[in-house]
Formats: sequence, structure tokens, C-alpha cells
Amino acid sequence: MIKIAQLSCGTEYSSVQYEIEKAARSVGAKVVYPDVSYADVNEAVRRFGFSPRSPQLRLMIARAARLADEKYDADAVFITTCFRCAEAALVRNELRRFIQENTKLPVVTYSFTERLKAAQLLTRMEALVTIVTRKDVLARERQAGLTAGIDSGSSTTKALIMENNKIIGKDWTSSGDVVQSATSVLENAMKEAGVEFKQIEAMGVTGYGRFTLGKHFGAKLVQEELTVNSKGAVWLAERQHGEATILDIGGMDNKAITVRDGVPDNFTMGGICAGASGRFLEMTSKRLKIEIEDLGRLADKGNWRNAKMNSYCSVFGIQDLVTTLGEGKSFEDVAAAACHSVAEQVYEQQLQEIDVRHPIIQVGGTSLISGLVTAVGEVLGERPIVPPNSQYIGAVGGALLSSGFL
Amino acid sequence: MSEERETRVFMITPNSMITPDQLVREIHAMGKGVTVKETCYGTLAEGPRESVRGVLKEIRKKHPYDIYSKVRAYPAGDPRRCRAQHGTKPGFVQLEAEWEALPMIQYGIQCCERGEGFDVPREKEKLSAEEFKKICEAVR
Amino acid sequence: MKIFISPPNSLILFDLVERFGHEPLGAMAAIQERIDNIELDMPPMNVTLDDVIGGLKYAGVEVPSGIRGRLSLWGPLIDTADAAIIVEDPPFSFGCVGCERSDEMVKYMLHRRGIPVISVKYPENSEEAKAAVGRIKEFLEGLK
Repeated sequence: MIKIAQLSCGTEYSSVQYEIEKAARSVGAKVVYPDVSYADVNEAVRRFGFSPRSPQLRLMIARAARLADEKYDADAVFITTCFRCAEAALVRNELRRFIQENTKLPVVTYSFTERLKAAQLLTRMEALVTIVTRKDVLARERQAGLTAGIDSGSSTTKALIMENNKIIGKDWTSSGDVVQSATSVLENAMKEAGVEFKQIEAMGVTGYGRFTLGKHFGAKLVQEELTVNSKGAVWLAERQHGEATILDIGGMDNKAITVRDGVPDNFTMGGICAGASGRFLEMTSKRLKIEIEDLGRLADKGNWRNAKMNSYCSVFGIQDLVTTLGEGKSFEDVAAAACHSVAEQVYEQQLQEIDVRHPIIQVGGTSLISGLVTAVGEVLGERPIVPPNSQYIGAVGGALLSSGFL
Repeated sequence: MSEERETRVFMITPNSMITPDQLVREIHAMGKGVTVKETCYGTLAEGPRESVRGVLKEIRKKHPYDIYSKVRAYPAGDPRRCRAQHGTKPGFVQLEAEWEALPMIQYGIQCCERGEGFDVPREKEKLSAEEFKKICEAVR
Repeated sequence: MKIFISPPNSLILFDLVERFGHEPLGAMAAIQERIDNIELDMPPMNVTLDDVIGGLKYAGVEVPSGIRGRLSLWGPLIDTADAAIIVEDPPFSFGCVGCERSDEMVKYMLHRRGIPVISVKYPENSEEAKAAVGRIKEFLEGLK
């Protein structure tokens, strides 16, 4: 049984403690609280150097110190506090860092409201368990042998072949039937690589179709996308060490993952509205009657300040778009404004839930829209790194990690 | 029993000679039909409200200054709060901190009972900026 | 009379109020009411989503859920209290009272109700303890 040490404030009073324990149980783990005594609390706070007013946050610090001193036995750490509490947000993030600097325990953080997102919580718990049970697999930084990776996503399916730490074949398609889509992209990738299925030594699958594909292909690695994508992204960006934020603005939802040495410790997923997703850019390019591939280039030539577009919602966004075009603004400025609006929404609605760490690695299909990357850079104050093959992170992660089984 | 149930913490001051074990036997000997459990700081007594209150009354009479009490929400040994299940819950540190403060409170109660007067501690005032400036200049 | 105590889970305050002949209103009653409700299954405390939403009576939606959940527990007790004792700056305020903002709000709600409230500084030595106990005793006796 994997023991997850919970450092938290407010869970019991937000009616979410039960959900936390349920999620842990469902991935074969158990929530525990490191024992501390009254005398430990003030001493730990002094040592930590941040003295919060709230006693429960002080208790969190004392519990973290017990873990750092190896006085309490746990396999992983889950740090969680109320969303919108400034004091707790500061302590949560600094404790995350403290645990990472003083222990080898994997840590995941989360800020909740009473409307807890059960799926997000479960993915976090699953990732924690993966990090504990597959430490050796995740430590892998170089791909070896001949392996394949398949990422069976909700909108696209990607396959990729790697040999001796190099990508030698790849393909993607929009997702239809899980097995058919995967088979077709895998075949194309193998063709490009000039290899046959029987030569492939190991395969790693991720994404929502992973269980079906794992069985179908007899994959050696079947793993959730949080850990797999992180490894893929840092490999592609050549940022295997240190901290980074991986940003994936998807067609329907967005993911932002913070990593340290390629291992994820927090993420945020989902978009409140399509106005903050790639879908809005698709709608914009349709209205402009251009291909989405051209939208980015167009946007790079424009100035978003010339066209007012600031939408929480894709419907209002398109209204803004129509008005702006009606005023005779240039396509370039409108395209730039659309990209800027998406970047701003992602920042305001999602990135506030995590602590953005640098560098930012932008991945996924939308990272190919250069105007969006520019806009994200402007909003975050630093141009993101877009590694080559940035849309293949999951497949790269699968191929890389599965080579650990050879 | 839910309406009627009362679970009470009886905490012995750190400077008392009474042991948790003694207290448990004492409560048993009262024959009030309550369940008693020994703890680090004293005992937990649980039973119908009236019976538990009866125990409290007798303890107050017998040990007016050595034992302190409050009700506890969770029944004794409730897995939701039991230390053996998850490790200590936050309330444990609270009890520990209050236990350490008890001798001071005990002294205060005894003085009150004897009818001694007391001085309300004055709030410390901060040094005025003017004063502080003078001191700084003197040091320089 | 019903005396709300702050911190609401304090053994010392609970004891003093009972000792001097009144009924303490603290955290324990509100929690016991929930955990003894066998129709709820939200362990460990059975504080439910409805409770947290009910906390909107005391604080807006922009206030963290943990604060609203706490206020939904103590709020009804504050509403029924005849008087209150507040210990300022106690070294013990863990568990139920782990959130400083919630504690501040509770104190404010007590003052707003206009009931008799006494604030006592947490004693730093025996002489201060004598004064703290003495003031609490006088306050409680004065209520009779």
C-alpha cells in the first residue's frame, strides 16, 4: 500500500476530504498525516522561515519538516489548500519546493473549491502512484533500442518510432475508432522508419485510449498522460533537468504542467470556456476564410492592440471579431487579437491555479500556430520554447519510457 | 444513542499526582455505567449524557483543580478520528498545547477561589517614532 | 446562559464556562451533530457541499471554501449565543480553528451581534493567568 502524506488546510471544511481519500484508495494508495507534536510546530516554522498566521498552515510546515527529517515514513506527498486563499497559496508552493529540495518524495499540489473536480484529483493521485512505483522508468533520459509510442488523444492520435534516442518515423491523424486510428498512424510511422512491427522491441501507450491499445498491441507501458507527456516534452525541448512549465493549449481543453527534472508536480486541466482554447482560433480562421495554419503567420504581422477582442466566451469573441472586421481592421490585426485573446484567457483562467515556472515549453497542435506562441510569450513575459515535433510529446514519452523495459 | 451520547475528555494537569489509570478506576468505581478509556492526558468517558454529567460532577467535587474537561464530538475510538488509522489529526496538537498551559490556569483558579485580587495586564505600547529616532541618533 | 467560546474547541475555555455555571457553545456540538447523522457519508466530519454553500450566508463566493465551511458551522452557534469569551492570540488554535481569517470573522460576528463579549489576552505567566481567570469569572458571574 502506497502511503501519501497529506499536507493540507481546509479540506474537511470544504467537504472534499472524503473525495481525496476516495481518489487515493482507487489508485491503491492511502492518505496519512505525519505525526507532529506541539513543540515541533514552532521549531519547524522558525526553520522554514515563513511564519503564516493560520495555525493549520503552521501545522502543514511541521508535517513537512517531519518528512524532510525522515521521522515519518511516506511514499509521496499531496499538498492541498483552498483556492483563493493567498496565505495558503504561498505556503503551498514554498512547501512543495521545500519537500523537493529536502526529500526524494514525489509531490503534487492542488488548490480546491467545494466543487472539487474529481477527475483532476484522480489523475493527480494516479500520477503520484506512477511516480512512486515507476521511479526507475521515469528516470530514463535517453531512449534505447527500437521502440514505438502511441498517444491516443481525444481529438488526435499520434504514433512515433524511435531508435537510439532519435525519432525515425511519425504520423498523426484525427481520432476515430481508437484501434483503427492507432493502427493506421503506427503503420505510416513504421513505413517512414523502414521497420516492421515484429522488429519493435517495446511500445508505450498513453492518452484516453491507452487501456484498449495497451491490450491490443501488447504494450509494455500503459501510463497516464501527465507523466508521459512531461517526459516527452522535456526530452524534445532538451530540458531534462531543473524546472519548467509545459503548456498545451488544446482544441477543446488546455493543460499546464509544472515539472522538476522531468517529473510533474502540479498541473491544471480543462478550460472554462472555448474562448480560451484552440477552438476559438479555428472559428476565427473560418470567419476569416483562411487555413488555421496561416492564422499564426498572419497574426505575427499584425498588432493586437489595434483590434479590440477580449472574450471569456467564444460567442462573445466572435461577436467582437465581426464588429472589428466591420470597422475595417486588417486581417493581420484581427488574427493577432484572436491569438492574444486566447493567450490572455489561458493565463487568467488557468495559469493562476499553478505557479508558472520558467522556461515555458509550449506543445501540442496549437504550438504550431506561431502567432499564438508570440501572444503567450507577450502575456507571460517570456517567449515559450516550442521544441521540434511539439505535437508528439505523448508519443515521444511513450517510446522513451517504454525503452526502460528493454 | 446519538442524541443522548456524550463523550468527554478528562485531562489531568501535568503537575498532578493522579495517573490516567487511577482516574479510570475511580470513574469505574462510581458505577454510573459509562465506558472509560485511558488516554495520554487522562481519560475519555462515554455514555448517556446524564450519566457522563454525573461523572463530571463527582470529579469536580473530588479533584477541583487537578482535572479539566470538555466534550468531544467524536465517539471514543471512532475510525474517522483514530490516530492509529491515519496518524495524528490536528486536534491532537491542540490538546497537547492546552495540557501544557493547565498549571497556569490551575493557579489562576485557586487564586480566584481564595478571593485574591488581580491586576489586568496593561497592553504594551509601541515606542514612538520620535523616541526611536532619538535612540538611533544617540547610537550613531 | 449560552456562552460562545473562541477558540471554539478550547478545553480550558469550555471547562471554565462550565465551572462557573454556564453552558459553553463550542465547536464540538456542531461537529457532533454532523458526525452522528447516519444519513450522511462524508467522513471524517460530514461537512457537506450544502454546508459550504450555506456558508454564503456569512461570506461571499470569492471567499475560500474552507472559510465558508467553517462559518456555516459556527454561524448558527453565534446566532444563539447570549455572550462570548474570546482569548486573544492563544498558542493553541489548531484543528477546527486552523484558519486565522475564519477566526477573525468569528470574532467580528460576535461583536456585531452586540451581545456581551469579553476579550482576554492569553496569559504569559502565572500572574497574567490569575487576571485572565479572574476576569472570565467576573464576567460570567455578572451575567447571572
